[in-house]
Amino acid sequence: MIKHLIGLGVLLAVGIAYPAIFPNNLTIAISVLLFAGWATSWDLLGGWNGQVSLGHASFVGLGAYFVAIGQSQFGLAPWWTMAMAAAFAAVLGYFWGQLTFSLRGPYFSLSTIAVAEILRLVAINEEWLTGGATGVFIATLPEPFGIDLFSRTAQFYMALAFAAMVIAIVIAISRGRFGYQLRAVREDEDSAMASGIDPTATKLKAFMLSAALTSIGGGIYGIVLAFIEPHVIFALLLSVQIALTAIIGGRGTIWGPAVGALVLVGAGEMFRTTFAEANMLIYGILILVVVLFLPRGIVGELARRHIRRLYAKRAQG
Amino acid sequence: MAGLDILLQNVANGVLMGGVYALIGIGLTLVFGVMRTINFAHGDFVVLGMYSAVLFNALLGWDPYLSLLLAMPIGFFAGVVVERFILSRVVDAPPESALLATLGISLIIGNAILLTFGGEPRSVQVSYASSTFSIAGVNVSMVLLLAGIATVIMIAALYALLNRTEIGRAIRGTAENRLGAELVGIDTRRIHSIVFGLGVMLAVMAGVTLIPLLFATPTNTGAVFTLKAFVVTVLGGLGNVGAAIAGGILLGVVEVLGASYFMSEYREAYGLIAFLLILLFRPEGLFGRTVKRV
Repeated sequence: MIKHLIGLGVLLAVGIAYPAIFPNNLTIAISVLLFAGWATSWDLLGGWNGQVSLGHASFVGLGAYFVAIGQSQFGLAPWWTMAMAAAFAAVLGYFWGQLTFSLRGPYFSLSTIAVAEILRLVAINEEWLTGGATGVFIATLPEPFGIDLFSRTAQFYMALAFAAMVIAIVIAISRGRFGYQLRAVREDEDSAMASGIDPTATKLKAFMLSAALTSIGGGIYGIVLAFIEPHVIFALLLSVQIALTAIIGGRGTIWGPAVGALVLVGAGEMFRTTFAEANMLIYGILILVVVLFLPRGIVGELARRHIRRLYAKRAQG
Repeated sequence: MAGLDILLQNVANGVLMGGVYALIGIGLTLVFGVMRTINFAHGDFVVLGMYSAVLFNALLGWDPYLSLLLAMPIGFFAGVVVERFILSRVVDAPPESALLATLGISLIIGNAILLTFGGEPRSVQVSYASSTFSIAGVNVSMVLLLAGIATVIMIAALYALLNRTEIGRAIRGTAENRLGAELVGIDTRRIHSIVFGLGVMLAVMAGVTLIPLLFATPTNTGAVFTLKAFVVTVLGGLGNVGAAIAGGILLGVVEVLGASYFMSEYREAYGLIAFLLILLFRPEGLFGRTVKRV
């Protein structure tokens, strides 16, 4: 617990100093932080609770659209629309979960793709609401305390706050009653039920929290993009990217998804010139490596080795 | 009478389109039935088939149906290799591992095609692309009819393989009970390789028959086909070849009728909604026995 809080402190300290040290590499850092936040939110449901969702781009899209439409059509400031998006995402997550949590394992994953695709089609076709396939443009943003939200530095700090908030929430949950309920349901729903845990209620809570947090990040992403197109932001590939980031980093670990975001966005940037648009190739290769050789993900595997070393030392001493 | 004509026309188009969906779905359902693996890369193998036809056409000037002669064996072999080197290692791991592995394969195929062929949509021009002929006032597209005939031949061949040969018996045995099959001396690893090879071969074949009709794009089309294959198999019941045929035709008809009588922009959504409804209320599929396997 203390270690994790120190880790969070280090993240914040490095993050606060970062724009001063690398003022030219802010866009990629924003990307890392947003993916870290999304993957950590995904992990609440996918890792801690074991329900692999391949539809999380829906919540990213929801957040982005709330901010963009709220600003361009109603003149609402992003912080209000982000709060509204989070509330709406939680409600959507509730109904989505009610609908699909009777399904287990791969069937649940399949149903999340179907729901997400239907939402994408709605975003493309309901032009009166979303501007249709052409998308929505954010032309102006308010300036709280004179801060220009269009500047990359301000966006970086928003992304940093988002990632840190999500990680802090997961740290808090991991040691609490809810965290143990999540893991009990993941390991065995029937035994969890036998110990007095309601698996469906637990999964619903995890889904709602995960959805709300993801949509807040989506709102920040909307500001960063300033131009929101449904086929980009609701893409199945974005859902897959979020899920794979968490899985490659290490499911059900606190820092795994964040490490995954750093590794994957970093690798994507490194091979940008080699692979150009085809940089999802890296995700494909890394997920195969993880599935075949590191089933617990990068951080999960490191943690396991660390624990084994501790036991070995104790056995010797 | 005009209304009835249009209805017949739509149903005919739906059934023929559904035949191709069925072909895609059968590959997925066969792999699921035997290996209990949901193959996320299935649609990408369809796209691979499309690009193989493009390649053979560009290099040798072959008609897509001629390129089937080479594309199908190559597809089978590719499937065997993928199974041997990747999927066989995760066969006893939690079901999610196999799902994630096929997701990785899907990303690798899609992006490898993107690197090789670039992002522009590709197609093969054939002389019969827009020719139609009419039966009792219903216009039938030549391309769809050929695809339908190919589907029927392939399904008949598959039926014969599964029900009339020793390998087919071993495949059915492995699907029924893997341990039991091993106890009576079936090499289930070999069966898994063969089945995955067959699945890929069917996907490649569907891709080749579709290329005169549709444009191929590297990454998006794959996901669309994978999704359609899921819809088809879940409509019919996962792991049931006969039901996948019915599921495919049903999807084709639902899409065409939904698009022409309700809102055409939601063409893709009708299949997905049907898919969700079936998953929720009859997870064993429309034609499945009421056995909970999940």
